[in-house]
Amino acid sequence: MRPVLTLCWKEWRVALDTPLGYVVATAFLLASGFFFGKNLFLFGQTEMRGYFAALPLLLMFFVPAMSMRMLADEQHDGSFELLATLPVTTAQIVAGKFLGVLLQVVVLLGCTLVYPASLLLLGHLDVGQVLASYAAALMLGAVYAAACLYASSLTAHAIIAYVIGFGLLLAFYLLTVAAPTLPIAMQDMLSMLSPVQHYQNMLRGVITLDDAVLMVSLAALFAGLTWFQLERRRWR
Amino acid sequence: MIRAERLSRAYGNRIAVRDLSFHVRRGEVMGLLGPNGAGKSTTMKMLTCFLPPSSGSATVGDIPLDDSLAVRRLIGYLPENAPSYRDLDVRSHLGFIGRMQGIPAATLADRIAEMSQLCGLTGMLNRRIDELSKGYRQRVGLAASMLHDPQCLILDEPTTGLDPNQIIEIRHLIRKLAEAKTVLLSSHVLPEVEAACDRMMIIDGGELKALGTSAELAAMASGGAVLHVRLKGKAEKTLERLRSELPEVQVDAVEAVESGGETVNAVLRHADTSVPLAETLFHAAVKEGAVLLEMRHEQTRLEDVFRRLTKGASA
Repeated sequence: MRPVLTLCWKEWRVALDTPLGYVVATAFLLASGFFFGKNLFLFGQTEMRGYFAALPLLLMFFVPAMSMRMLADEQHDGSFELLATLPVTTAQIVAGKFLGVLLQVVVLLGCTLVYPASLLLLGHLDVGQVLASYAAALMLGAVYAAACLYASSLTAHAIIAYVIGFGLLLAFYLLTVAAPTLPIAMQDMLSMLSPVQHYQNMLRGVITLDDAVLMVSLAALFAGLTWFQLERRRWR
Repeated sequence: MIRAERLSRAYGNRIAVRDLSFHVRRGEVMGLLGPNGAGKSTTMKMLTCFLPPSSGSATVGDIPLDDSLAVRRLIGYLPENAPSYRDLDVRSHLGFIGRMQGIPAATLADRIAEMSQLCGLTGMLNRRIDELSKGYRQRVGLAASMLHDPQCLILDEPTTGLDPNQIIEIRHLIRKLAEAKTVLLSSHVLPEVEAACDRMMIIDGGELKALGTSAELAAMASGGAVLHVRLKGKAEKTLERLRSELPEVQVDAVEAVESGGETVNAVLRHADTSVPLAETLFHAAVKEGAVLLEMRHEQTRLEDVFRRLTKGASA
């Protein structure tokens, strides 16, 4: 476990020591503030549904930016050779990198806790629903982090990793948007595979086992694909 | 300490290393020489468990490469171009490597201080690696590779891009380390390998061409011992006596230096370098009453050995 946490800590240090981390955080919080403030100030509603509805779109732009350098830069700078010859397994590398991205997502989501806190002071807030929404956002963040980490393992260029990651997340989003236009049988299948659909289900304030299991499975699937990609590189 | 048996590695259809077998003894500095693309880095990547061999096997400290985590704990590795995490400062980078190597938190700071002093990094610990010169980045890589006090160091071109003063410093450092560790280092800078290594192997096209000390390699390339001599008086008889005592000796290029054949130059060759050619000639000259004016061993330079053994690649 120690190598995983050490790697996660290192990624956190890099995020703190480079301008990219601050640019991403500032832009995310500005955009978050806009979507949160819209409902509060324009419509006078003390609720966060509007914010959480927009969150998949926000994360679609910011999670690829947080994770694009994770493995692409390692390959580009040659430091992957250094990392992979330390006494750690590939699975530990993937886990450490994944937790590194997830930690950034958690910190950014943590910063937005100021919104429900201020709403509590202003009026009535359905705390249970907000907590469930945060849990859903965390799970969605985990799926996005794993998918973008996989994108980062596919190339040695961070920008290409961003584009691939964004493309994957856009595909998830379109899966949900396009589902109602498709035949019923396909709708069920697609909505089962779409993390955004499960996220939206959870926003109602109820976290069902199948929604949670599917989210975790999708994150695990992409983490597994990342592991496979790193191992495959050694055997080529 | 490191033993490779018929180690091979292919990238798709291209064979990078073919049937490489060698042994690096404990406490020895072994140089790995070869032209670009000879398979030096691939060999090192296999020994450090970064790349699995396509066939063959190897052990490091009697542990097979299959037990890769145990092997990696024994090894300190400096990859080519000394990659490091450039966004971190030197202390954080070394701290990260140390923790990944499992160094206890209580001793990590001391180890970092010790290694940074050894590698001349003391004043640089709080500088971002990005801001350092190539020479200092190389030192950071070297310090990182030694942090966990490995038994075996594998250094891929440790002096590339360094200025002559830095090269000498790193060379001294490697010699100092070699007192306690086994070192395998690759280079295509020949004087460097000659100065730093006890033995060396030359590979070309992924195959082992030669292995031995620089003297052994020189003898191998020149085809045995070569002695240039100048004899005055009774030269013919002396050479005849030498031939009778050492029937395998070959006497070439006999030529008179002065008129009347008083003084002659000759080149004596013997396939076996262990034969005391010079000594036998001396005794023969004394017995025959000839004067030995000059006698010198032909020194084949490592450059010549390297060129001869790797001619296929450069031709």
